[in-house]
Amino acid sequence: MASSVGISAPVIGQALSVTTLASLNFGSVPQGTPTTVAPTAAGAGAWQVQGEKGADVTISFILPVLLTNIQALPGSTMPITFDPTAARWNRGTNNVATAAVFDPSTGTTAKLGPASSPAIYLWIGGTVTPAATAKPGIYSGTIVVTIAYL
Amino acid sequence: MTPSRLSFALLVTARALSAQGVVIAPHAVFIDARTRSGAVLLYNPNAEPAEVSVSFFFGYPVTDSLGRIVVDSIRADSTSPSAAGWLQAFPRRLSVPPLERRTIRLLAVPPSPLKDREYWARLVIAARGGSLPVTGAADTARVKVGLTLEVRTVIGVFYRQGAVQTGVAVSGLRTALVGDSLAVWARLTQLGNAAFIGTVRAVLVDASDRTRAALKAPIHVFNTMQPRYTLSIGALAPGRYRLKLELSSEREDLAPELVLPSPTVRDSVEVSVP
Repeated sequence: MASSVGISAPVIGQALSVTTLASLNFGSVPQGTPTTVAPTAAGAGAWQVQGEKGADVTISFILPVLLTNIQALPGSTMPITFDPTAARWNRGTNNVATAAVFDPSTGTTAKLGPASSPAIYLWIGGTVTPAATAKPGIYSGTIVVTIAYL
Repeated sequence: MTPSRLSFALLVTARALSAQGVVIAPHAVFIDARTRSGAVLLYNPNAEPAEVSVSFFFGYPVTDSLGRIVVDSIRADSTSPSAAGWLQAFPRRLSVPPLERRTIRLLAVPPSPLKDREYWARLVIAARGGSLPVTGAADTARVKVGLTLEVRTVIGVFYRQGAVQTGVAVSGLRTALVGDSLAVWARLTQLGNAAFIGTVRAVLVDASDRTRAALKAPIHVFNTMQPRYTLSIGALAPGRYRLKLELSSEREDLAPELVLPSPTVRDSVEVSVP
């Protein structure tokens, strides 16, 4: 859906937006078995960054190491990891298959696309390792993505 | 910098479905010592409210050992041109309803006296959607995992006190063939007492001065940096070429009155393709 947004300011002519297109969603996972969502999978987290064509931005993440069961008693947690190929980015094209791989723990620098598509697309996957005795319920955490406009 | 002067509009592609995040304008804020105030507008194009918080830190783009440009938080000391400690945002926390706009006012309360120059900070706008992305949440008999995504957008804030001027110097221009690309490095040094804001252009020409590859990118130079650029050159015939580098104070994305003028700087270096 395209929306016309009137934003006005005396200081510049371009806006910047970072839109979360999809949250990282593992769905239901089996107890005692690691479950991985690849950055190319349907459950991967995805963002779209829009701004000035050709502009450089840095991309960095704050990643959780433990997820907390928000329905069980306090103390129910689940480890989550992100390997060095768990993130991808693509310049101007919403296509994870052709995206560049990067390590989400170190981040990367990216360039927004040309005038026809001044955007960057990001994806992230991960691996959760529920214990065999993991209590049922929803395990939740927060991934923080930071986009710094240079 | 009053709201009555707000004068432009732009089209932004917004996403429906589960999209989160806010549109932020401008992507750089310039505040002068006369008004000591600025504004950032937020628009929430989504169907759910966005919870937004605002903070500042001192930092500016620098280059790492690979020539990548990164923004790091820098520990400010008494000689640092940091405005982070005396900039205030109102409000610092807010909720932006769906399809609505909100304005964050920025107020500078600098120490006095303040030396003439440009002072820098980074504004962090953190936006978080409200819902947990797990389907079948009512089914409490299974183990389910869903992560919420928070977006932090970092933009530059420039406070100009008194007479400010800028420029840039280029040195150490060099290139290297890397596969089907030409890597370009240069040492860029900010002149004057304000950051250089402009555009960098690199053009590879052949012996007939025909352009064989080119790039153009916006650039900010704070103090000194050594960025690496890459030109896609494909399969070039063996021979001698010349890489021309130009930095000018033109910016398509900034109002002209905000960009400090400075002389265009050029350098070039020979490129030999074996």
